Amino acid sequence: MTTTLFIQSLLAGVTNGCVYGLIGLGLSVIYRGSRVVNAMQGDFSLVAGIIAYLAMERLGAPILIAFLGGMVAGAIVGWIVELLFVRPTRKRGGTEESFLLVTLGGAFAVSAAALLFFGRDSHPVRGLGGNELLDVFDAAIRVHAVWLIVLSLAVVVALRFFYTRTFIGKSIMAASIDADGATTIGINVPLMRSLTFLLGGAVGGVAGVLVSPLITIHYEMGLLLTLKGFTAAIIGTLGNPFGAIVGGLMLGLVEALAIVFVSSGYKDVISMTFLILIMIAIPNGILGHRGRAGG
Amino acid sequence: MLSVEKISAGYGAMTVLHDIDLTVGANEGVAVIGPNGAGKSTLVRALCGLNPVRSGRIVKDGIEIHNQAAHRRAAAGMGVVLENRRLFGELTVKTNLELAEHEGARRPKSAERFTFDGVLDLFPFMKGRLDANVELLSGGEQQMVAIGRALLLQPDLLILDEPSTGLAPKVVKSLVEVIGKIRSEGVSVLLIEQNVALATEAVDRAYVMKLGRVVGEIGPSEWKGALNDSGLAKAYLGG
Repeated sequence: MTTTLFIQSLLAGVTNGCVYGLIGLGLSVIYRGSRVVNAMQGDFSLVAGIIAYLAMERLGAPILIAFLGGMVAGAIVGWIVELLFVRPTRKRGGTEESFLLVTLGGAFAVSAAALLFFGRDSHPVRGLGGNELLDVFDAAIRVHAVWLIVLSLAVVVALRFFYTRTFIGKSIMAASIDADGATTIGINVPLMRSLTFLLGGAVGGVAGVLVSPLITIHYEMGLLLTLKGFTAAIIGTLGNPFGAIVGGLMLGLVEALAIVFVSSGYKDVISMTFLILIMIAIPNGILGHRGRAGG
Repeated sequence: MLSVEKISAGYGAMTVLHDIDLTVGANEGVAVIGPNGAGKSTLVRALCGLNPVRSGRIVKDGIEIHNQAAHRRAAAGMGVVLENRRLFGELTVKTNLELAEHEGARRPKSAERFTFDGVLDLFPFMKGRLDANVELLSGGEQQMVAIGRALLLQPDLLILDEPSTGLAPKVVKSLVEVIGKIRSEGVSVLLIEQNVALATEAVDRAYVMKLGRVVGEIGPSEWKGALNDSGLAKAYLGG
């Protein structure tokens, strides 16, 4: 194989890896703030993608406004999911398993709704910088993909700042570590859980608007994204958002190399085998057990 | 200060507390003692709102608080250290304290008794451990962080649930001193304890609970000698 092909596949791996990482990041944000494994994470992205598409194609909105609208839509869906589904389940003494089932049901519902209102077809979404390409050592990368990588890293940095430096971020952490202890010092724990879903939904929305121009929107894309994001989050330890982006990049690169060296048909087989091997070899993820242990 | 009138509370179909009456006056130190399963911790959870009250009233400074959301009770001047401390283990000592300080800042200026530095003076070991994660501290140190965290809420009533559990005798002794200093700042203390020796030293009088009811009150004159009073021990502590 040629160097160009190799570089090309590395670029694709990094791009896809950032998407998986962003989905995983959203999953981690929600898991860390509320102990819910959210099977709807990819569907937040689907909704965001659809909103961005409609805003651009039907309303003629500029791309940045459309992307912002998609992100806000993701956040709102996240908030509604917490309010309508997660909170009542928790009140009835729901466990991690019941949350998973509830959100899995929600994922199918969103997918079905997208099919009903949006149809069976894939819809192409415009990207940042249109379809322009950049030349990297003879390999080509879309300008949009560069933006995707930059913005993904920006989200990681912003979240890190949020959790370690802001009062609300610390309160969310406190509420998640010990709900009763947090309540006694005046933290409104249910509100923190809602904010967690709002934030997780927004991250899912960002992932959605960024990935849509690369893969086109399709009503079934939600669960596929969730699965890849979940793999990324597990590799990087579920409770540690910054592990998710590392896990995503690893997954993206493994897939990209699998395409080059094996066959594109085996891409998912290889990435899921990778997940299984990781789970057997280091069940607590590459960053150790601490991320998930936190009460 | 605090007046609890005929409260009942429980979990699901089970009623754990039956018609509890008790009061804590301004500047007063009061203990609730009794064996395991007496409902002492349920009482604490009812007072701070983590368990709803099914009947009866909780009145603090003339205001009914039993229908207030749990997270609003700190603003009513109630500081609570729950059983097992319930700190944020993966966060630093500093963050644990700051989160409470932020809430305490909502109290009126006149209620402010403890500054961040004041708490560090009360527990000097913390000065060198502010950036350590709480889970790395010893049990005794964690108890002090929990008390410091509650004090930064600027309460005028501090409720301590079994603070001596699992602590070395030396640390228990320092707990008596700490409670004394807190009381000297004008904070009332409601101490839930099985360790009667500690309780007699730290507070003025006591209620005895058994099977979810208050079965007796021990006044100030009897309380100081309660530990050596075999009659009291027999009657109330099942000893």
